[in-house]
Amino acid sequence: MDAPLAFRRQLLDAIPRLRRYARSLVFDSHGADDLVQTTLERALAHWHQFDQRRDILLWAVSIAHNAFMDDRRREKRQPALDAYESYDDRADELPAPGVDIGLRIDLLAALRRLPVEQREPLLLVSLEQLSYADCAQALGIPIGTVMSRVSRGRAALRELLDGKPPRSTSGLRRVV
Amino acid sequence: MTAPFDDSIFNAWLDAELTPERRAEVEAWLRDHPLDAARVRLWAADREALRSQLDSVLAEPVPAHLTRLVLRGPSATHWRHWQARAAAFALFALGVAVGAGLMWRSRIDATQTVSGAPTPMAWVQRAAVAHSVYVPEVRHAVEVKAQEEHLSRWLTKRLAVPVQLFDLREQGFELVGGRLLPDAAGPSAQLMYQALPANDGESDPSLKPARVTVYLRKPDASTPAAFRYEQQGALGMFYWIEGDSAHGAATGYALVGELPRERLLALAEAIHKQGASMP
Repeated sequence: MDAPLAFRRQLLDAIPRLRRYARSLVFDSHGADDLVQTTLERALAHWHQFDQRRDILLWAVSIAHNAFMDDRRREKRQPALDAYESYDDRADELPAPGVDIGLRIDLLAALRRLPVEQREPLLLVSLEQLSYADCAQALGIPIGTVMSRVSRGRAALRELLDGKPPRSTSGLRRVV
Repeated sequence: MTAPFDDSIFNAWLDAELTPERRAEVEAWLRDHPLDAARVRLWAADREALRSQLDSVLAEPVPAHLTRLVLRGPSATHWRHWQARAAAFALFALGVAVGAGLMWRSRIDATQTVSGAPTPMAWVQRAAVAHSVYVPEVRHAVEVKAQEEHLSRWLTKRLAVPVQLFDLREQGFELVGGRLLPDAAGPSAQLMYQALPANDGESDPSLKPARVTVYLRKPDASTPAAFRYEQQGALGMFYWIEGDSAHGAATGYALVGELPRERLLALAEAIHKQGASMP
């Protein structure tokens, strides 16, 4: 049976935020809208599993996250063709953060260089303003993991913007 | 001197995730430690920059194909629906032209659905086809409109069973009208109901109101009376017999619609209640 109108209106309202989230994961606007389309198709197909009392955006973000992960896994199995680059391969196009302290890369380029595991929680918390608990649920990871990835992501982003190569910190602060 | 907090606590403070006591401790620390405070301010600035860069996506018009997808369903489903309707109409028209029982059979075991799978009830299948054929009609959805007094009398006379015009307004549907169906197996009729416009601000005026049909016939003696539900694609159907078919005083009903089962059930129950209370 097809999804009822009330559900469809809720889903419609969530599209702009889904597009923003997809764009910050995929960057290329066509690829991002493809991810949104897949997300909407799956949401419509599974509407009866959605608990009306919940926030539909959280549910849709969860679906989008899984679809994004499916795409990445599929890419890893098939070697990237010329016409189709993997999301992370794009990072190699960018100039390495320079030795020159004055070199800056712009914000989205820096975001792109973050590992996906850090990028996703960072975006959900900073942009979508999800609580750590909601973010944990949407991504299917423990809250503690959300905390440490957000922390590492912000530090890494800042370092990229400062022109330093990101290092994998453990989240402990530097000794001053 | 190292802080008693690691960076994730500073981040949690920035994200308003700390308990009031913890928050007060962190704020006290930041007040006294400008270097840490500067780092946290930079994270806050980066967060603002991220928001202002990506908020422009929020302001973009939503691509039409995404809106259509949500409002109408995936185009593949849409196409299958359309094909099924076209096929149903072709079958129906062919049945009328031939005038005999080639397409319409009253034998329970001998009918194919549009998709090719056998169904238990031939007449239920006819009800589904009649629904698909007439519901999309705008100008000639019904033959006789609800306002015309003779609708009930006319159908009762032709069907040789009492035809009652059920009142489904409480369930949100109003009667549009009815028609006789050119059913080679025996006279049958269709009543069409249309959803009343809702006052809740939920309904989209650009979408056509939902329609359900009630197919009526004089059942043959072998038709089981049990209340049954079937689904074919997006169409749900409740069907049953009212009255005593063994003594020829029964009416067969099939309620057909593209509605959630519970909503269709509410309509079926209302019809059953009104039908059962007839003299």
